[in-house]
Amino acid sequence: MIGGCGYNVSFAVEAGGLVKVFGSIRALDGLSFRIKPGEIFGLIGPNGAGKTTALRVVATLILPTSGSAKVYGHDVVEEASEIRELIAYLPEEAGAYKNLSGDEYLRFMAKFRSESSEVLEETVRSAEEISGLGGRLRDKVKTYSKGMKRRLLVARALMAKPKLAVLDEPTSGLDVLHSVHVREIIKRYVKEYGVTVLLSSHNMLEVEYLCERVALIDHGKIVAEGTPEELKSKNKVTNLEEAFAKVVGLA
Amino acid sequence: MLKGLGNVVVKELKELLRDPKILIGMIVVPLVMFPIMGFVIRGAMESTEERLQRLQVGFVDFDHGIAAKNLTDFLDSFPTMTLVNISASSIEEAVEILPTKNATDLLVIPAGFTENVSQGNPAKYPVNVEVYSVFSGAGGITETVTSSAVIEYLEAFKRWLSPDLFQTVSKSIIKGEPADVSPSVLFGIMYSQVFALPITISILLVFSMQIAATSVASEKEEKTLETLLSLPISRFTILFGKLAGSIIVAAAGAVAIMIGFNYYMGSFMVMGDLGVSVDLAAIGMAPTLLGYLVLGASVFVALLSALALAIIISAFSEDVRGAQSIVGYLYVIIMLPMFVIMFADFNSLPLVARVVLLAIPYTHPMLAAQASVTGDYLTAVLGIGYVALFTVALLYVAAKLFATEKILTAKLKFRGLRFRKK
Repeated sequence: MIGGCGYNVSFAVEAGGLVKVFGSIRALDGLSFRIKPGEIFGLIGPNGAGKTTALRVVATLILPTSGSAKVYGHDVVEEASEIRELIAYLPEEAGAYKNLSGDEYLRFMAKFRSESSEVLEETVRSAEEISGLGGRLRDKVKTYSKGMKRRLLVARALMAKPKLAVLDEPTSGLDVLHSVHVREIIKRYVKEYGVTVLLSSHNMLEVEYLCERVALIDHGKIVAEGTPEELKSKNKVTNLEEAFAKVVGLA
Repeated sequence: MLKGLGNVVVKELKELLRDPKILIGMIVVPLVMFPIMGFVIRGAMESTEERLQRLQVGFVDFDHGIAAKNLTDFLDSFPTMTLVNISASSIEEAVEILPTKNATDLLVIPAGFTENVSQGNPAKYPVNVEVYSVFSGAGGITETVTSSAVIEYLEAFKRWLSPDLFQTVSKSIIKGEPADVSPSVLFGIMYSQVFALPITISILLVFSMQIAATSVASEKEEKTLETLLSLPISRFTILFGKLAGSIIVAAAGAVAIMIGFNYYMGSFMVMGDLGVSVDLAAIGMAPTLLGYLVLGASVFVALLSALALAIIISAFSEDVRGAQSIVGYLYVIIMLPMFVIMFADFNSLPLVARVVLLAIPYTHPMLAAQASVTGDYLTAVLGIGYVALFTVALLYVAAKLFATEKILTAKLKFRGLRFRKK
C-alpha cells in the first residue's frame, strides 16, 4: 500500500465523516465511502441529498467543513493540486466555450495533460471517438445541440484516461442511443485503462448497468450501500428504483 | 387588441421592482449620485463666486499719465476688486511678478495711453488696454470667469469716460508666459478637451470593466468555471490568464486613447486676436511627450485596477446579467470624477470634496489628462503611485478569492431590500 505518487493504494477514494455546511444548510452530514481502484461507484439519492456536494469535494472544488477525503492517498485539503493531476470532473450542468469549435475546445483541455504533441494528438483522437461528433467538431460549440455538447464534455472528461473520473449525471440530456454509447465507453475505459469512476445519476437503469457498487445518500449521509444485487435483495424488490424509493422513504 | 396589457405591465413592474439590483441601479444610485455631484459642483461654484468677490488684479502702468490714474482709481473704487501695482519694465517681467502678488489677471496700460485718449480720435490714435489672464487648462467651465469680470469693469470705465475711446484686448498667460490669444478663445478649444477626454477615459473604464466582469461571469453562466477550476493548473494561472487577456485589451485601449487624443489635439488650429495662426503646441497647451507618457501610464494603471475590481465583483454574481448589474454600481465612482472635472476647477473644490475625489482611483487618469496639458506632473505621478498600490491590493484580494471555493460559492445578498408579502 503505497501512498503519494505511487497510486498503489487500497482505495481510489476514501471519504470519512465528511461534513459540509453552507450557511444554515448541512449539505453533507458525516458522509463516508470508499472506492477501489478500477471500480465504478454510483452515488444516488434524491435532489438535495448532497451528491453533487460530495463530488465537488472529491474534485477539490470545495473544502469539507470537517472530515476527510483522499484520492489515491492525497488529501483534498492539503494536496489538491496533486489530485487535480489525477482526476477529470464532469459537472452535471457543465458547458463548453461557445465561441471555440469542438476541436479547439478539446485541444485546449488536452494541452493541460499532454506532455508532447504526440500525446496531445492521441488524446484528441480518443475524444473524437468518444464524442462521435465527427466533422461537427470543426463547428463552433454554440451551434451544438444539448446532446452534442454533453457528448463533447464526456469526451473531454475521459479522453486523457484519468485515474479517477468524477461524473455527475454523465448521460444527462442524451437520447437513448447516445446514452448507450457513452455507457459503453465508460465501461471500456474502466476495463482497458483502469479508470476509476465515481458517478452520480438519477437514471437507475444506468446505475444498475454501470456500477459495481452503489451508495444511497439522503440528507448528506449514506443510508445504504452495496452492489445493485445486494441492495435489491436486501430490500426485497426487483429493481434499483424500487430499492431507492424504499430506502429513502418514498415508497 | 391590447387586452391583458394591464396585467402584463403589473407583472413587469413586480418583476423589475423586486429585483434589488435594478432597484439600486435605477433609484438608489441616482438619488445618491446626483446630490453628491450637486454638493461638489456647488462647492466649486461658491469658490468661483468668492474669487469674483475678491478679484485681485495686477496692473502695470507704462503711461504714468492722468488717464491711466483715472482708470486705476475707477477700478479701485469697486469693493470687489483690489488693484495691485506692479513695477516692471516689460509685460514679460510683469507676468513673472504677477503670481507673487496673488493675482490672476494683469492689466497693461500702454505708453501714450493718456495722450491718445486726450486726442479723442480712436481711429487716428488707437488705444489698446490689454488684460492678460492666467489660463491653466484645468479650470473646467470656470476657466475664463476672472478675465470676463476684468473686461466688464474696463467696459464700465469706457462707458463712463466715452464709448469707443479705447479698446480692451483680452490675452492669456500660459505657463507663466504672455500669449496673444484670449482666454475665451482658448477656452473654446480647451472646452472640447475638458469634455472629450474625461468622457473617453470613462467610456474606456466602463467598457473594460464590462469585459472583465463578463469573462468571469460567463464562465459561471456557461458552467465552464467548475471544469476550469478542476484542471491541473494553479488558480493563480487562471486569474492571471484572465487578467493578462484583460491587460492586453486595456493596453490597447490606453494606446488607442493616446493616438486618438493626439490626433484630436493636433486638429486644432486657432486664429489669435492679432489674426496670427496659433496652434496649441506652439502656445504650450498641447501635451508633451512626457505628458503623453504620464497620461498613458495613469490610464493603464487605472484600467488595471478597474479590471481587477470588476473580476472581484463579478465573482459574486451568478451570471453575466448579474455581474453587469453589480459592476454598474461602480460607474458612480467613474462618473463622479468625470462630471466634477468637466464642470469645475478641481483645485477650487472644498477640501473634503478634493480628498474624497482623490481617494477614488478613477479621478487620477482624469487629473493626469489635465496634467498632460498643464504640466503638473507631480500630482499625476503621485496619482499613478496611489492607483498602483490600490491595484496591487485588489490583485491580492482577487488572488485570495480565486484560491478558495468562494469563487464558486460567493453571492451578493440583498436580503434587506426584498419586498415582503403582507
